[in-house]
Amino acid sequence: MLTIVFTSIAYASILALGCAAITLWYASTRVFNFAHASLVSWGFYITYIFYKLFGLSPYLFMPIATIATGLIGIAIYVSVIRRLIRAKASEITLMMVTLGVDFILFAFLNMVIDYFANVYKWDIKNVNIVLTDPTILTVANTPIKGVHIVAPLTALLFLVSIHMFLNKTNIGIAMRASIENPELASILGIDIDKIYTLAWMIGGALAGLSGGLLTMVMQGTSSIGSDLIVLYFAGSIVGGLQSILGGLFGGLLVGLSERLIPYYLSSVFPWIYSYRFAIPLVMLVATLLLYPKGLAGLVERRWR
Amino acid sequence: MALETGLQYILLNIALNFGIYLILTLSLNIEVGFTGIPEFGRLTAALVGSIAVGAIIGRVAAALAGLPTGNEFISYNAPITTQINAYLSSHAIISIALLILSILTAALLGALIGLLTALPAIRLRESYLGITLLSFGEILRTIMYNYPDVIGGTLGIAAPSFFGFAGSYENIISLSFIFLMALFCYFIAERISRSPLGRVMKAVRDSELASQVYGRDIMIVRVYAIMIGSAMAALAGALYSIYTKSVRADVFTRYSWTFLPWAYMMLGGVGNNLGVALGVLILSSARSIISVYKYEISQVIPVDPVWLEYILIGMVIILLTLFRPQGLLPEKPVATISKKELEKIRKEVLQPAKQ
Repeated sequence: MLTIVFTSIAYASILALGCAAITLWYASTRVFNFAHASLVSWGFYITYIFYKLFGLSPYLFMPIATIATGLIGIAIYVSVIRRLIRAKASEITLMMVTLGVDFILFAFLNMVIDYFANVYKWDIKNVNIVLTDPTILTVANTPIKGVHIVAPLTALLFLVSIHMFLNKTNIGIAMRASIENPELASILGIDIDKIYTLAWMIGGALAGLSGGLLTMVMQGTSSIGSDLIVLYFAGSIVGGLQSILGGLFGGLLVGLSERLIPYYLSSVFPWIYSYRFAIPLVMLVATLLLYPKGLAGLVERRWR
Repeated sequence: MALETGLQYILLNIALNFGIYLILTLSLNIEVGFTGIPEFGRLTAALVGSIAVGAIIGRVAAALAGLPTGNEFISYNAPITTQINAYLSSHAIISIALLILSILTAALLGALIGLLTALPAIRLRESYLGITLLSFGEILRTIMYNYPDVIGGTLGIAAPSFFGFAGSYENIISLSFIFLMALFCYFIAERISRSPLGRVMKAVRDSELASQVYGRDIMIVRVYAIMIGSAMAALAGALYSIYTKSVRADVFTRYSWTFLPWAYMMLGGVGNNLGVALGVLILSSARSIISVYKYEISQVIPVDPVWLEYILIGMVIILLTLFRPQGLLPEKPVATISKKELEKIRKEVLQPAKQ
C-alpha cells in the first residue's frame, strides 16, 4: 500500500522534470518538442550503459546522462531550430522538424544499443535494473528505495533552483523577459539567441535526467521515450505551457493520477489497469477543452 | 527463377506501400495542405476503417455464413474465419457485395469519427489542436488494444478474405483493387482542389480573417475537411486490413500511420496532389527497397537497415523544412477550367476591344 504511494510519487516527480522541459521549450521558443522522446531514451540508456560498464550505483551516472542530453539539446537548437525561428516558421513546422530530429536521435540510439548487444553480448534491448536500487530504510514494514527519496528530492531541488534562477539571477530575469516579450528584451540588449540556447540546454538536461531516473522505476526499451511522450505532453498541457512551475506541477498531477486512480478504483473496476494509459490523455483533452490555461492559469494573478 | 520471385516480391511490396500510403497521404493533404489543420492523429480514422472491416463486416459475413457473431466470434476467431473464407470463396457475388459494403462502412465511420474528433477540438490553435488530435488517436488505440470485444484486443482478429474466389490470383486482384481505390481517391482530391469547397479551404488556410470577412464559417469548412480526410484515411485502413487479412490495434502506430504520411507529404509538396503522389512514390519505394534488401545492406553497412530508414525519413523532414519547405512540386494555383476554354474565353473578351 505505502509502496504504491511512494513509487507513484517518485514516478510523478520524474515525469514532472520532463514536463518542465517541454514547457520551457514551448514558453521560450514556441517549439512543441517531439525530440523529447528520444532525449528521454538517451538519458535512460546512457545511465544504463555506464552502470553496466563500471558497476557501482546507477545514480552516479545520471549526471553524465544529464550533461550529454543537455549538449544534444544545444546541438538541436543551434543546428535546426535557430534557423527556423529566424525565418519565422509556424508552430507546426517547428513541431514537424523536431519529429525529424527525434527519428535521427532514435536511430543513433538504436545503433549504439546494437553495438553493445553485438560486441559486448549484453542483453540490452530490454533494460530492467529496478531491483538494483538499494533499500535505504524501512518504515512500517515498507522498504523505502533510493528512488523514493532521490526522485522527489531532485524535483524539489529543481523547483527551488529554477525559482531562484528565474527570480534572483540576471540571466534568469533576462530569460523571463525574453519569454514574455522577445522584441522588447532584445531592445534592452538581451542576447535572445544565448537565452534560447540556454533554454534548450536546460530542457535537454531535464529530459535526460528524467530518462536516467526512469531506470529506477520501470523497465524499458529504446522506445521508452516515445511510449511516455504523450504523458509528458499531457503533464505540460495540464500545467498550462506558460510557466515552468506549472509544467512541474502538471507533470506531478498527471503522474500521480495515472498511478493512483487505477490503484484506488481497481477494487470497483478491476479492468481499469489496462486503460491506465488513457487517464493522462483524458486529462490532457479535458484541460484543453475546459480550461486551456491549465494550472498556471489558476495562479496567474498571484504571479503578476 | 529465384531472382524473378525476388523481383516480384519487391514490386508487390512497393505497390502495396504506394497504394495504401497514397490514399493516406492524400487524405492528410486535404486536411493539412488544403485547410491547414495540423492532423497529428491520422491513425484514428485509419484504425476506425480497419475496425469497420474486422468487427462489423466480419460479423456480417459470419452471420451470412450461419456462424456465431457474439463472444465466440472473438474467442474462436481463427476457426470461424476459416469457415467464413470457405463460404465466401464459393459465393463470389456475396464477397463482392461485402467488399463494397465494407468500403462504404469504413468511409462512413471514418467521416463520423472525424466529426466526433473535430467538434470538440476544432476551436483550438495550432500546436494545441495537433496534440489533441494525436491524443484522440492514442486514446482510441489504447482502448482497442485492451478491450477484447471489438477487434480482439492484444491478439487482434482476422479479416475475411473477400477475394478468396480468385484462387491463386487473390493477391494480385486485391492489390489492383487498392490501386483502383487510390486512383479514385486521387481523382476526388483533385476534384476537391478545383471545386469551390477546395478554394474556400485554401482561403481558410491562407487567412482565416479574410475568409470570415467574405462570410464563410471557417469552423464548418474545417469540419468538412476533417470529415472528408478522415473518410479517406479510414478507407486506407480498411484496404490495408483487407489486403493483410488481419485487424490489429497495435499495427496502427503513430510512426507508420501519422508521421510517415506527413514526411511523404512534405517531400512531395504540401497542397499539391501530384506532388504528394510523387513524394509517396519516392519514399515508399525507398522504404520497400530498404526492407527487402535488409540483409544485403547490412553486409555493406554494419547497422540494422531499420535505423537507416529512420535516419532517411528524419533527414528528409529536416532538410526539406530547412531548405525547401514547399516540397519537390510546389503548390500551383489550380485552373478550374481547362486551358483551351480559358484561351477561348480570353479571345472572346479581347475581340471587341481590338475593333
